[in-house]
Order: sequence, then C-alpha cells, then structure tokens
Amino acid sequence: MRKPPALLVVFGVSAALLAVLPIGYLVLRLFEGFDKALAELLRLRTLELLGNTILLVTAVSISALVLGFAQAWLTTRSNVKFAAVFAVLAALPLAIPSYVMALGYISIFPNFSGFFASWLVLTLATSPYVFLGVTAALVRIDTASEEVARTLGLGRFQVLRRITWPQVRPAATAAVLLVALYVLSEFGAIALLRYDTFTRAIYNAYRGSFDRTSAAALALVLLAITLIVIWFERRYRGGYLANTKALSKRVRVDLGSWSWAAMAGLTLVALVSVGVPIFSLLVWSLQGSASLDLAMLLDALWGSVRLALISGLVIGVFATAVALWAVRYRTKLGVLVETVSWATHALPAVVVGLALVFFGANITPWIYQTTWMLVIAYMILFLPNALAAISTPIAQVPKDLEDVSQSLGVPANRTLFKVVLPIAFPGIIAGVGLVALTVLKELPATLLLRPTETNTLATRLWGATEDLAYSQAAPYALLLVIIAGLPALALNSQARKALSEVRG
Amino acid sequence: MFKKPLALVLAAVAAVSVSGCTAEAALPDKSSITVYAGRSEALIQPMVDQFTLDTGIEVEVRYAGSAELAAQLLEEGQNSPADVFFAQDAGALGAVAKAALLTKLPDEILGLVSPQYSAADGSWVGVSGRVRVFVYNPDTVASVPSSVFDLAEPEWQGRIAIAPTNASFQAFVTAMRVLHGEDKTLEWLRAMKTNAVIYEKNSAILEAVESKIVDAGLINHYYWFAMGREIGFENLTSRLGQFEARDVGNLINAAGVGIVSDSNAARSFVEYLLSQTGQQYFVDQTSEYPLISGIEAGVDLTPLSQIPAPDIDLSDLDSLEETLNLIREAGLI
Repeated sequence: MRKPPALLVVFGVSAALLAVLPIGYLVLRLFEGFDKALAELLRLRTLELLGNTILLVTAVSISALVLGFAQAWLTTRSNVKFAAVFAVLAALPLAIPSYVMALGYISIFPNFSGFFASWLVLTLATSPYVFLGVTAALVRIDTASEEVARTLGLGRFQVLRRITWPQVRPAATAAVLLVALYVLSEFGAIALLRYDTFTRAIYNAYRGSFDRTSAAALALVLLAITLIVIWFERRYRGGYLANTKALSKRVRVDLGSWSWAAMAGLTLVALVSVGVPIFSLLVWSLQGSASLDLAMLLDALWGSVRLALISGLVIGVFATAVALWAVRYRTKLGVLVETVSWATHALPAVVVGLALVFFGANITPWIYQTTWMLVIAYMILFLPNALAAISTPIAQVPKDLEDVSQSLGVPANRTLFKVVLPIAFPGIIAGVGLVALTVLKELPATLLLRPTETNTLATRLWGATEDLAYSQAAPYALLLVIIAGLPALALNSQARKALSEVRG
Repeated sequence: MFKKPLALVLAAVAAVSVSGCTAEAALPDKSSITVYAGRSEALIQPMVDQFTLDTGIEVEVRYAGSAELAAQLLEEGQNSPADVFFAQDAGALGAVAKAALLTKLPDEILGLVSPQYSAADGSWVGVSGRVRVFVYNPDTVASVPSSVFDLAEPEWQGRIAIAPTNASFQAFVTAMRVLHGEDKTLEWLRAMKTNAVIYEKNSAILEAVESKIVDAGLINHYYWFAMGREIGFENLTSRLGQFEARDVGNLINAAGVGIVSDSNAARSFVEYLLSQTGQQYFVDQTSEYPLISGIEAGVDLTPLSQIPAPDIDLSDLDSLEETLNLIREAGLI
C-alpha cells in the first residue's frame, strides 16, 4: 500500500474533523438529558416516523434510479430524436430547489400533499443526480461487448441487465446514495407537502419546543440510518472501471416504433419536473414584477453568487484531496475519512447549523457570523456531493501513467499535480459546479450562520414566503433557478462530452 | 400617565447618557446594536430605519423565524452578539428567558403595558396583540360554534384545520390546559386527531379555507387582514368569527421583546417599539392590537376590550413542555 502525500492527509483529516463536529455536538446534547432522549425514542410515534422515512427513502431511491437511468440511456444510447434537448431537460430540475418545486405544485393544486406528493416532487428533484452520473458512465463504456452479446442471442433487456448495468453500477449506486441521503435530510418540501419524516420531527423538536435533547436523539437515529444506507451502497457499488481504452464509435440502439413512446415519456417527465414549476414561477413573477425592488434583487444575487463561488472552490479543493486519498491510495484512514464525510450528509441542515452556532459563538467568535462559518457549514453538508462527482474521474486516470511518471523519478506529489489532476480536471470542475449549485439552493444553515444583514436569493425567497407574498417571492425563485441552471447545464454537457468527441 | 411622547422619552435617554450621573450610568453606551428579529423584514425594517434616523443609533437586524432565533440564542449562550430579541410569540421569549439569557427590563418600560401581556419576572414585554380566531367559509359553515370544544363533535370530521406545530396554537392549548385541566384538553386533542386536517402554519390554513379545501380553521386574526391587503378584502371568501363568552378559543396573544445585552441603546429600541409612533405603526401595517393605552385599534377590528377572551395572563402560559406532551400523546405531532 502506497503512502499518500502529506498534503492530502492534512486536507483530508481536517475535512473529516469538521464533519465530526456536528456528531460531537449531538452527543453533548444527548447526555444533557439522556432519560428524556430515551423516552422520546421509545414513543410509538418514533416507530411511525421510522416507517414513513424508510418508505419515502426507498420509494424515491428506486423511482429516481429508474427515471434517471431511463433518461440517460435514451439520450445517450438510443436513436431518440432531440436527445440533446431531452438531456438538458433531464438535468434542469437540479437547478430547482425542492421547496420551490413543491410551492409551484401547491400554488396550482392546493390539495397536493402527503406521501404521493412528496414522493413525486422528490423523485423529480433528485433523478438528475442519477441521470448525470449514469450518463457520464454510459458514454464511457465499451459498446463492443454489447454487440457481441447481441450476436450471441441475448435480448435487449438481457444486454442491459447483464452487460450494460454492471458497467454503470458504481456511478448509479453512488448517485442513488446521494438521492437517499437527500431525502433523509429534506425538510422544506416535506413540510410544505405535509408528510412526516425524521427530519421534520427534528425541526419540530427545535422549533416547537426548543427541545434540543429530543432533537439530538432523533438526529442520532437518523445518523444510524445513514450509516446503514452507506453500508448498503458500499456493498453493492462494485469496482470502479478504469477507463483504459480509447473511446470507440458507439452504436445507437434503434428504437423503431418505440421511438414515439420514448419521446412522449421524456416530454411528460420534462413537463412535470420543469414545466409545472417554471410555469407557476412565471405566472407569480408577472404578478409581482411591479413591486419588485431591483437593488434588493441584485444585492441578493451577488450574495448568492459570491457564496456559491467561494464555497465551490474551497470544497472542490478539499474533495479532490479526500478523493485522491480514498480512491488512489486506498489506505484504511483514507477510506475512513471518506466515510465520515458521507455520514453527516443526511443530518438536517438545522442540526449542522446549530452545532456551528454553538461552536462558533463560544469557541471561535472571530469567525462566527462571517462568510467563513458558512463555508465550513457548506463543507460539512456538501462535501459528499463533490466527492460523488470527483471520485469517478480521479479513479478513471490510468494507474500506469502514474507508475511511469514515478519510475522516471518524479516524486509522488509532483506526479499528482502533473499527471493525475490535469487528466481529472474537467471532472473536478464539474464537482465544483455541483457544489456551487447546491449552495445556491441551501436555506436553513444559511439563515442560521450568514453574516447579519447578508442576503441571498434563497433567504429573500424565504422572507417573502413567510409574508405570504408569493408574487414577491417568485422573481427571486426564478432568478435562483436561472443562476443554478448554469452549472446544471455545464454538468450536463460535461457528462455528455465524450459523446460529442466520438461523434465528431 | 404613560402617554409620553416619543421625543420626551428619547430626550430623557439622551440626557441620562450624556450626564452619566444617575444609576443608569452603569449601562454601557453603544452607538450600534444587533437585533434578532423573528418578524418579517418587510414589516420591521421601515420602523428600524426610522429609529436610526431619529436616534442616530445604528441597528443591525438578523431576520429569521422566532423559534430558530431562540434556538440560536440558546446555543450562543452568554456569547451571543445579540442585544435585543424581538419575537413573534411569548413561547420563544419564554424559552430564552428560562435559560437566564434575558435581563430584567426597567419598570418604566414594563409599566407601559398591562402586566397581562408581559413576563411575570419582567424579562420580556408584549409589543403587539393578536387574537385567536375561527376562520370559516360562510357558504359551508352556517354559524360559528359557541365554543372551541364544539369542534370535537363528529360533524366537524375532516372540516377543521389546525397547525399543531405552530407556536400560537400551542399557546392556546396551554391556556386550555391551565383553564380546563389536562384530561379535558387531551380529550379535545384526541378528537382533533380524528377531526382536524393538519397544516404547518396559520397562513396555510387560511389558504386552505380560501381555496375551499377545508371549511374552517383556527388561526391568528392578522393573517386574514394580511391576505385581505394582498388580494383585496372584497376577494376574500372566508370570514372571521369568535367563540362565545370567555371561550379559551378566543385567547389573546402577543408578540414581544426582551433585552439580551443591556445598554441605553437597547432600551431606547424597546421604548421605541412601545412609543406612540411604534404602536401606531403596528396598527396601520399589520392590523395588530396596540398594547399601550391611548392608541385606537384599526377601524375594522373589534376593540381588544370587547373580545370575549379567556381570563388568563400570558406569563401563565409558560408550561409549554406539558402542552407538548399532551399534543404528542394525542398523536398530533
């Protein structure tokens, strides 16, 4: 086993230490009132919440996987018309915060609520993760073996299941992990759609009763669920496939008479995932445009963009270090660091936010309520998003190249900078884009930790909806979707890049 | 005797800070303060700007939900950057006061407001009043029930909306517990588990009544006025009603303010909220009830003295824990 460069260890360990902070905070709160916490957990209600949460996480994970995979396969491997347009439409929901999507639906269908509503909105909001991950994997796999399998008499679905699926499985399961943890920690949409999960109960414990002990107990259960989910993902992920051969010209499957059905399906999904929310935002924006304060809008826009860029870059650097360590060196500590940063990903943002309020105000007051505190919060919350995007391209850099470089006497550190990072660079930038986009949409931690009187599009949007002024909230939401749409589009074209390279 | 014009109050504060020879001299002088505000920015900011203009005291305001800010103050403890906590409800103030994070307000400030609307220990003072109301669709609800307890009848199944996680609903349940006992309250809550449609907040209930998803709901009065101002009163389907004589469903509640870190500047801010100007602002902008004497409530409002409210002080409503246990036991949260 090779020894990782010291630089990676420093970045990786500090990222992991930050990720552990909220867990430490929760344990601290738990021991303030252990009996009470135990009583909270032993309620029948806890079981009900557990059932609700598992049901929603499982349902959304499965449907997002099926939907995202279907979109990816149709737009990269079939001859469906307007594939590039449908690919953009499949990636775009990533730019729409799930609470905005929920609001969009509620404003058109006031009765929209409960399990089905939550399942639908979260499936639409999270399937782009699967779509992007699977697209990137699909355009890189070797189609020759599929052709061989076909000539040996396997049916289309057999080929899909036995040849294609194993090759995209690592990317798909990593994306589904993101989806599952997203659902576990989601609050905004679920509260609007009135479905009860653990995360909603945690928020209610804080907000209704200022009961930090019960909230901590529930959050630790959530953490345990997260670890189980991660364990499942590790078990079923399979190995990364190093991309050793040059890309060959791919064969597109002729859908024949199914082509129209595929187009109808893709159009329908685009209508419900992008069409409905955007339509509702446009209608409300038109009503609210008269009373819009442009200076306020620009101020919020700048606040959002600035935070997203800073956080994207900082988190990108840390994620690259952790990914390099965990993927290319595979030491036990490296894998542990990676696991720890995933573990806190499903904690509700309010828990991470309050943990940092506690540490920030009392231990590091000099950065409390500054931008850096927010960047730390985003790092704890979103490092896994960056890891998911960055690990694959880093794993795909052929190991031989590194060996050659080192055999020529180049030290390990320089080899990383001269060989591995340049090759993986586009993937790293994609990770930065994904983090920036996620930061743009984040609300609860931003509200708790932002510098006083700093506003973002998301906090303005929150303020307006608190006032019931949907028409004033809508322009902020629309601008948020447009800005977040830029990285979403970039991610899509990054995922499909290999496709155009080969075709040209 | 409490009708001090604002200028006088401010002059007095200024005099105290300049002369620096009274008991108040021990207070630190600050040229800027930080306010944690659980009320909306659109509502509060114009008033804050006016305060800065009048006094020269800079105010940084941190806007978030009252409960989130209370949680934040509890985590920050003694090291909070906040000077003043301005909250939407007594529950959030009570939680912060319980952790001994609010200083006792001076008697001049406490004296402005009836003790009914302030903390018994003087840690916070009510700033504006709101009334629990029965909002209903007159097409489907023939007459307002005589008591909130009538909503437990089977005829209300699936027709009445409540928000059990909302602070003002919880304050109302606490009042019910205090006035009618645990057993009767639990019975009512259990009936609500069967009858009620659950929402996250008051505004969502009002929208549900307006869009005819439910027939009626329990909310605070000013949400209805806010919606009326946004879409026009003539376009509202719903009407407001009160239960009969002294019913607990007519509870009067208050938004309030407490001082986290005492200074002359923090005190002048609180005094400003309770000045004629400040109180008139709430009446005009939010249709809330003024809590100092000498200001008339908005024209469309039943005067506070004529609301058939239950006989209870807000500081008697600090047993939130027991209330939450009951709401939990009934399975509503």
